[in-house]
Amino acid sequence: MKPPPFEYFSPTSVDECLTLLAEHGEDAKLLAGGQSLVPLMNLRLAAPEVLIDLNGVDELARIDRDDGELVIGAMTRHRDVASSELVREACPLLAEAAALIGYPAIRNRGTMGGSLSHADPAAELPCVTTTLDAEMVVVGPGGRRSIPARDFFAGHFTTVLEPSELLLEVRFPAHGGGPGWSFHEFSRKSGDFALVAVAVQLPGDGASAGLAIGVGGVGDRPWRADAAEGLLAGGQRGDELLQQAADAVGAQAREHGEGHADNDYRGHVAATLARRAFATALERTGR
Amino acid sequence: MSETQAETQAATQQPKLLGARVTRVEDPRFLTGNGRYVDDIALPGMLHVAFVRSTMAHADITGVNVEAAASHPGVHAVVTGAEMAGEAKPITCDSLVPTWQATEYPALAHERVRFVGEAVAAVVADDRYIAEDASELVRVEYSAREPVASIEAAIRDGAPRLHDSWEDNFFVKRHFNGGDVEGAMAEADGVLELDLVSHRHSGIPLECRGCIADYNRGDNTLTLWTSTQIPHLVRTGLADVLEMPENSIRVIAPEVGGGYGIKGHLFPEEIAVAVLARKLGRAVKWIEDRREHLLACIHAREHHHRLQVAYKQDGTVTGIKALLYVDCGAYSVYPWTSTMDTGMALGILPGPYRIRNYECEAYSVTTNKCPLGPYRGVARPAACFSIERAMDEVAHAVGLDPFEVRRRNLVRDDEFPYESVTGLIYDSGSFHEALEKVCRDGDLEGMRRLQEEARAEGRYLGIGFSCYTEQTAHTTNEFIKRGVPIIFGYDTAIVRMDPSGTVLVHVSTHSHGQGHETTYAQVVADQLGIPLESVKVAFGDTAATPYGHGTFASRSAVLAGGASLRAAQKVAEMLVRFAAEHLEADPGDIELAQGKAFVRGSASRGVEIADLARWAYHRPEKLPDGMEPVLEAVSSYDADPGTGTFANAAHLVLVEVDPETGGVKLLRYAVTEDCGRMINPLIVDGQVHGGVAQGIGGALLEEFVYDENGQLLTTTFLDYLLPGATDIPKIEVTHLETLSPFTLEGIKGMGEGGAIGPGPAVASAVADALSPFGHVFVNELPLTPERVRKFVQQATGNAA
Ligand SMILES: Cc1cc2nc3c(=O)[nH]c(=O)nc-3n(C[C@H](O)[C@H](O)[C@H](O)COP(=O)(O)OP(=O)(O)OC[C@H]3O[C@@H](n4cnc5c(N)ncnc54)[C@H](O)[C@@H]3O)c2cc1C
Repeated sequence: MKPPPFEYFSPTSVDECLTLLAEHGEDAKLLAGGQSLVPLMNLRLAAPEVLIDLNGVDELARIDRDDGELVIGAMTRHRDVASSELVREACPLLAEAAALIGYPAIRNRGTMGGSLSHADPAAELPCVTTTLDAEMVVVGPGGRRSIPARDFFAGHFTTVLEPSELLLEVRFPAHGGGPGWSFHEFSRKSGDFALVAVAVQLPGDGASAGLAIGVGGVGDRPWRADAAEGLLAGGQRGDELLQQAADAVGAQAREHGEGHADNDYRGHVAATLARRAFATALERTGR
Repeated sequence: MSETQAETQAATQQPKLLGARVTRVEDPRFLTGNGRYVDDIALPGMLHVAFVRSTMAHADITGVNVEAAASHPGVHAVVTGAEMAGEAKPITCDSLVPTWQATEYPALAHERVRFVGEAVAAVVADDRYIAEDASELVRVEYSAREPVASIEAAIRDGAPRLHDSWEDNFFVKRHFNGGDVEGAMAEADGVLELDLVSHRHSGIPLECRGCIADYNRGDNTLTLWTSTQIPHLVRTGLADVLEMPENSIRVIAPEVGGGYGIKGHLFPEEIAVAVLARKLGRAVKWIEDRREHLLACIHAREHHHRLQVAYKQDGTVTGIKALLYVDCGAYSVYPWTSTMDTGMALGILPGPYRIRNYECEAYSVTTNKCPLGPYRGVARPAACFSIERAMDEVAHAVGLDPFEVRRRNLVRDDEFPYESVTGLIYDSGSFHEALEKVCRDGDLEGMRRLQEEARAEGRYLGIGFSCYTEQTAHTTNEFIKRGVPIIFGYDTAIVRMDPSGTVLVHVSTHSHGQGHETTYAQVVADQLGIPLESVKVAFGDTAATPYGHGTFASRSAVLAGGASLRAAQKVAEMLVRFAAEHLEADPGDIELAQGKAFVRGSASRGVEIADLARWAYHRPEKLPDGMEPVLEAVSSYDADPGTGTFANAAHLVLVEVDPETGGVKLLRYAVTEDCGRMINPLIVDGQVHGGVAQGIGGALLEEFVYDENGQLLTTTFLDYLLPGATDIPKIEVTHLETLSPFTLEGIKGMGEGGAIGPGPAVASAVADALSPFGHVFVNELPLTPERVRKFVQQATGNAA
């Protein structure tokens, strides 16, 4: 469990990072919190020849509000996201989910950008960004571009990021602070990766804009439970309808989970978590 | 009593340390990071090893190309199995049981691999990084054979054989028949057929294995620092396979970061590292990483049991027929052999219950998996799982409370010493009282109230218990019966007082979490009348300690504790003789206390023990005629009659099951345990806590999963889940003290027990929690959420 040799750079600005990326291309990897990359290197499942350490790039660590959007820099630690007043106010779903990532030691090091770029289908943050239609702001040799979360994740541990690009920040839209929200996950032990996670954002009574249900842990990337969203779009929240919506989440999970040995089980858990998440979110809308 | 008499008594007596809740003297060292483990040791010019490990479960090695690796900068040697075979004999460990079939476990696989992770080649380099880089360049060519990846695959007709000279895939076949089982079955009111499965898991020490070998060409001596529980047995084993004189080998087990039985073996890697050091004339270090540990150290616990349980309508169990299979993996392990688990399970399955008719067939099976060895509890977790689940099922069948059914079957207090149907001698015990006490102390009534309230809210709480008796400190007679080649009888202690009056105790056991530095010191200080701080306990270096077996099988407190006590008594006699001469008193009147030797009843007539010690060595002319200037004694202790002493305990647990996700949460856990006289209740509590935590791991989380090709799927802690602090509830421990009639001071062992009870208790509680859905027989561990869901569905189906 020792990594193969690599060259190490410690840039202090985004521009410097881009220059290094341009120079080393596919041989290089960005190092953020190291909580995924370093274990992979130690297991020799990843063998980058060059490491570009982002920890000295101060401009990447920030939590801000910009024109109603919540902006989180790529190098912001999970712990800071989980404990930020601003995040809790603007986007409580995100704060709730970030607190469920791993253990304190992991949250102290692991970063927003690292988790999203690593794209573990069971990770909390990809699920939340997908649910909230966050925008990933990336920068590369051609300048900046913005990618909707739903298009960012391309499969197991893969994103659409080019090797020459880096993730700069994530922008969460203003309605992310809707009155009903809830993140429910089930893992085999406290702090472990979720077997299944369900994120729910509910608008106030009757409204349909901003309704979102996201699922993680099932399939190769997080996804939106559109059938269930469709059922709830009319604004009704009766028990029977909520149960139908939960079942729809379960059914869609079974489709996405094709190939998991325990697909049926995961489908059942997804439906259960959805039902519970609806209940918590509704309670929070004050209904 | 007059005032002066009272004063005299206070001055000339010392409160006994034996039995006191003394805080552990070793802890400050650990807590301040001053423990010194193998990896903290660096020798001049030391090189580092990485092993190339088999990626195939079962294959012939058709070629090993080391050229690229050998020419990699910084590499000093690349050694293959073929070369190793010329330097060291394979590990063989043969049972004396007649049906035994032997294996040869080579230091590096040669010609054939038999499990994924088996070491195939070793790369020695300037550092571990380079060694790992170069190990990736070693090309091993395999010709695949059909893998045998489960008990079923191993025992079916026409199964491929792992070992060519064998007739089938059984290390050993055992059969026992006692009483009249057929009669019991015929006369029973009912017979239950129960299948039980405990999946493979293991003890996971914080510190993985590791060793350093250093060879001195000048005088042909080898020193091996290794993280082991059994330094002397490793030395003997090394001498055999390396064909070196044993007096030229020194094994040092420094601080060992947890063992749990897993580190009580001679390992192929230790042999390989020793050979490399001898070959290169340089010190060579190997530090196992976690992936290697999970792949290739020692696995445990994989048992399939099939029982037929005959019972009467009043809940008494009248007979049991058992068929046991244990998946022992690819090779027999040194010094235990692959017979341990079947032997132990066969013998102890009836547990603390009065079952007189019992027939058992037990098979140790070989498969293409990591070798199986002893882990805290050895076979008893599976045996206890079987008998305890059987008790619950009998209770269900006859419509009685499981507590009552246990009460009706437990061996009664007036039956001790009790000879079990399999010939085990239960020396003493408190089976009934322990069960009743754990229900009181753990508040069974309160648990039942909580359960009722929760059910009203639609939540599923369940209560479970388990009882067991734990054979501990079994020595000569028991090991002869088992047919192991080495009889782990005695252990030995040397007690040495130096000229300043402080004492160094050298023992043949090893402490790696058990707190021996405290407990043995308590025993010795009592005998010598000196403070605890004046006694230091040392172990682990074969050059300094007397020969003995090491620490395993819940034996150290009884055996090395007993040996320390006896050796200390001998030194005490020397001090008494010297003091009597000096004080002109009768030796029979001399008492040792508070650091002094007194004439009984006279506080003023005394002499400092430190003065006696100083004179003994520096003023020998003061010694009584014929007394040698040696305040030192060696003693060995075997706990006659060698059949062991049986501790017992009862566990009580309250769980909450989420029937929709299958999640299980432990809400409360209570243990009442009885290990005879406790040397130190604080340490006993700690041992129970640790054991229960490991037992909970095996009950809920830990499992090595192999696929049908024999690939291990759980090679990191991402997949092999261990319980963390937040997964373990507060464990309430209370004690009974039923003395052993067989041992010094009535002490019993207890190190393993905590790990035995949780599996059946948790399973029983989960079944109880699910009872509103219907009755279900929870028969498989660990209880992963998916399995619990399966049981929910079964319960619902059973009710329909
Ligand atoms: C024991 C343990 C438990 C964990 N439990 C959880 C859990 O429950 N839930 C969970 O979600 N995660 C969990 N994690 C993972 C953790 O959250 C990681 O922090 C996260 O997945 C990666 O973030 P990082 O900052 O450590 O990134 P790194 O490990 O440094 O990098 C990960 C990948 O992202 C790339 N990268 C990093 N930053 C950028 C960027 N700005 N632009 C482009 N590419 C970038 C890297 O090149 C690398 O490929 C756990 C980790 C451990 C060790």
